[in-house]
Amino acid sequence: MPAIVKFENVTKKFGKITALNDVSFEIDEGEFVFLTGQSGAGKTTLLKILIADLKPTIGNVFFAGENIAKISKNKIPKHRQQIGYVFQDYKILTERTVRENIEVALAVVGISRKDWKKRVDAVLELVGLGDRSELFPQQLSGGEIQRVSIARALVVNPKILLADEPTGNLDWETAQNIVDLLSKINKEGKTVLLATHHEGIVERLKKRTIRLRRGMIEK
Amino acid sequence: MLNHIETGLRNIRRSPFQAMAAISVLALTFFVTTLIAILVYSSHQIISYFETRPQIIAFLKDEAPAEDVADLIKNLSSNEKVKNVKFVTKEEALEIYKNATSDNPLLSELLSPDIFPASVEFSVNDLSYAKQVVGEVKGKEIVESVGITASLGGESTLGDVVDQLKSITANVRVGGALIVFVLLTTSFMVLFVVIGLRISIRREEVEILRLIGATPGFIRMPVLFEAIFYGILGVFIGWLSASVVLMYLSPHIVSYFQEIPVLPKDPRYFFSLLGLLLLLEMIFGVVIAFVGSFLALARVSKKK
Repeated sequence: MPAIVKFENVTKKFGKITALNDVSFEIDEGEFVFLTGQSGAGKTTLLKILIADLKPTIGNVFFAGENIAKISKNKIPKHRQQIGYVFQDYKILTERTVRENIEVALAVVGISRKDWKKRVDAVLELVGLGDRSELFPQQLSGGEIQRVSIARALVVNPKILLADEPTGNLDWETAQNIVDLLSKINKEGKTVLLATHHEGIVERLKKRTIRLRRGMIEK
Repeated sequence: MLNHIETGLRNIRRSPFQAMAAISVLALTFFVTTLIAILVYSSHQIISYFETRPQIIAFLKDEAPAEDVADLIKNLSSNEKVKNVKFVTKEEALEIYKNATSDNPLLSELLSPDIFPASVEFSVNDLSYAKQVVGEVKGKEIVESVGITASLGGESTLGDVVDQLKSITANVRVGGALIVFVLLTTSFMVLFVVIGLRISIRREEVEILRLIGATPGFIRMPVLFEAIFYGILGVFIGWLSASVVLMYLSPHIVSYFQEIPVLPKDPRYFFSLLGLLLLLEMIFGVVIAFVGSFLALARVSKKK
């Protein structure tokens, strides 16, 4: 499988603080990779570089063959549309229903409206929220909201799914369910990069792990 | 596109009072703008009415030779400052008198055309030329006297009337433009603040959209639609209110000014005039909304 993500000697500094230090790794298409490390280890910085929200101070970052470190501003939206991002704090639009939240992603990518229902229904079924489509986020539990976030990320059929501490705000049982869901999505062929500090989850799935410590790859 | 319109309308529904504030200010602005535009139109009509009336009558001496009269008419006709030159014979003068006294036929029963002088009637292109032209005509041998139309108040007050009309028209235009400018600026500021507030409230939503790959255009479109919706609705309400007021008042205005066409008497022209105003105001309203929201977006983006 060709590498979909490639970090080449990436360093990211915020003033005198070094968030990432000479980080290099590759992720192949269809792989499930954990990105672990304590808070402040550089996990979120790495993910933000991958979605071009931050630029590396030194080094190159390739996504599907394109160097994100040198991406022009006007190409960033198109780049992000190829990535499904699941946030720790969900980042769900609270004044829109579950269905509308997912439709937003389809509108952003420019998918024809006539295809929306079919795609939204399919992805809701996949995350187990088929009967919750017309509810508002306030009417859902934390685990269900995170599933909406996953559904929104998946509905555009991204090349990779990035999940930044998706279980950070959830209880253990719900967290396991979310990780199982991500594992199921990976088994269907989707590349998944899951950032977490939750060792229990990492141990449970036994997948390749990139461990960060003070901005450097430990293992 | 449909998606952006839906989002824009949803945003309006979420904060109806801000929307009402923006629409009210725009409606007030365009209500006053419509009335001032009609006032400017009417003042222009009054000036043009006086300018196109036969204002000056040169009464000819009875013994004036026909060739000299023809020369006078030729000279006046070729004068760029003069228009509508017309020779009125003694017979025609009697007819005019008879028509004017038709409610009392006894007054004209025993009159013969001989007692009326023949005359040359004409208008000037601009009332400011009147004094000069009258002076020239008075100097002609065949001219007995020169009369100024009563509506201008006679020769002695001609200059005052001209100055007064010009000054009123100028005041209406300048004052109207100033009021419209102040109101347009206020509307622009209100729109700018309301849209800025809306974007600030939606900051988190904008951030989410940005992170999932929305282009700046995608984020801006609903805001622009929202502002344009305010513009269109504000203009329409303002224009409609002013039109209703004008339609109610127009019979009174028309009867007060009688033959002076301050407002078009033909309803088709009246509604065409209002339609033209609506079109121009719509363009203005949309431009204000567009520029206001664009600047508000730029300001919020810069803050971020």
